[in-house]
Amino acid sequence: MRNRNDEGARHGGPPVVSCDNLTFSYPGSERAALSNVTFELRAGEYAGVVGPNGGGKSTLLRLINGLHRADSGKVRVGGLDPATEPYLVRRRVGMLFQNPENGLVAPFVEDDVAFGLENLGVEREEMRERVREAIRAVGLEGYERREPHTLSGGEKQRVALAGLLALDPEILLLDEPTSMLDATGRREVLERLEEWRGARTVVHVTHYLDELLDADRVLVLNAGKLVAGVSPERLVFDPDLLRENRLALPTTLRLAAALGLGPAKLRTPEDLASAIARKIGSEARAR
Amino acid sequence: MRVELQNVRHVYAPGTPFEVEALRDVSLAVEPDEVLGIVGGTGSGKSTLAQHLNLLLEPTSGRVLVDARTLKGGELRRRVGLVFQFPEAALFAPTVEEDVAFAPRRLGLDEDVVRQRVRETLELLGARHLAGRSPFALSGGEKRRVAIAGVLAMAPEVLVLDEPTAGLDPATREDLLGVVRALREGGTSVVLVSHDLDEVAEVADRVCVLEEGKVRAVGTPEEVFYAHPEASLAPTTVRVVAPLREGRPEVGRPVRFEETLAALKGLLEGRG
Repeated sequence: MRNRNDEGARHGGPPVVSCDNLTFSYPGSERAALSNVTFELRAGEYAGVVGPNGGGKSTLLRLINGLHRADSGKVRVGGLDPATEPYLVRRRVGMLFQNPENGLVAPFVEDDVAFGLENLGVEREEMRERVREAIRAVGLEGYERREPHTLSGGEKQRVALAGLLALDPEILLLDEPTSMLDATGRREVLERLEEWRGARTVVHVTHYLDELLDADRVLVLNAGKLVAGVSPERLVFDPDLLRENRLALPTTLRLAAALGLGPAKLRTPEDLASAIARKIGSEARAR
Repeated sequence: MRVELQNVRHVYAPGTPFEVEALRDVSLAVEPDEVLGIVGGTGSGKSTLAQHLNLLLEPTSGRVLVDARTLKGGELRRRVGLVFQFPEAALFAPTVEEDVAFAPRRLGLDEDVVRQRVRETLELLGARHLAGRSPFALSGGEKRRVAIAGVLAMAPEVLVLDEPTAGLDPATREDLLGVVRALREGGTSVVLVSHDLDEVAEVADRVCVLEEGKVRAVGTPEEVFYAHPEASLAPTTVRVVAPLREGRPEVGRPVRFEETLAALKGLLEGRG
């Protein structure tokens, strides 16, 4: 069998997140949600997590954040066990939930964004400044006094992201941070994540492979098992790995592959259009 | 049946400092036997519009008509089914079967009709094998299908789906789009509210673009998407083809993936 683990870029230093034979089952479930998952993330690493629904992606994040306790095996964040030291771990780890409804707590948008900082006891003037900056960064100026329950799904997702920005944790656990966003909103969030690259450790769960084309490593979880840890290039060129794990190439790459144009540098639909135009032009000259 | 919004305006929290005008003078019809895609940016009014189609929200002004008549909310909700965003949050019964049976039972149908409906609906959604399971022990994709089944079991004439594929893996998403097509073939109109233009491109017969609570465009996918081929308003396929159309009208206005692939192959092979 091919070795599909431990590829992708390397970062130095001790691991900030490590899982060693991590196994967990939900009460009453006959099948383990995660079984014997082992990997390490170095400081500054950007790791994608993909795989089918029910594969264990969200469960993994919840174990790293101390929301569940492992049945066996170990998870460590900065050397701490999140299940026994959840408050210390959560000072370093910020999490965005898949359903933005689950993350919003306060009566007004600005209070919600400030919530994490209040818990950390950040000084008032600094808190105001960080909240203002975070709200601006996600394009929600003018929403400060809106009530979160009157916002759309995509707006709630932005509020949750602003809360995380204000907190600026060392380790970001993102569970489908763009699942409710339109193309513009998605691009903005991804640009924001790009600014964090290298300075923060990011674990980014998504069903959209185009969000992970620049990731250092992509972990593939299927039926609770870590079946691969590979570079994004390796993943998009491995049709078997994609199919076995119910993954799909983004539409641009799918079109490029079907047209026999190597998907390597074709990120956007506009890139593909230019490649086709060049090809038609050179063939017309050859005739 | 035909559901029509006439000059619908909706204001949340009117007369308070939190007043928000979510829909402004929206006129739009859901025609019989069609898949109508509702697209638009974050906060453009998509979900608010969806909730007017069964009068879960009442218009601040304007009217909602069914086959040119006004219906009471209760009657309308029996004929127009609405599936919310992340509907699995509302699953509650001990088994999938009981959960799906809840709404048809409340309609006062005979127990054998209810059983029949539950079976057929789970079958259609490829979830029959889940009937005896607890809805809480299912994966995200399975829960989503069960939640949709709960609304479909009422046999609505129009099904409104608000972001039904958010959070689903690509294969599960594809299966669900197959269900949308099957429903339409079976005579149920589907309103698909989605931020994902690529999926709307694959299944919609018509598309309505909302912007700041107003209808910016409505028409067939090729009309709407090729009129606004910019990144925020067009699916990937249209964004690839639109810049190539200049001087090459023979490429046409393909929207669906397979049509687009065929048109681009034609271009590359030098035939129109």
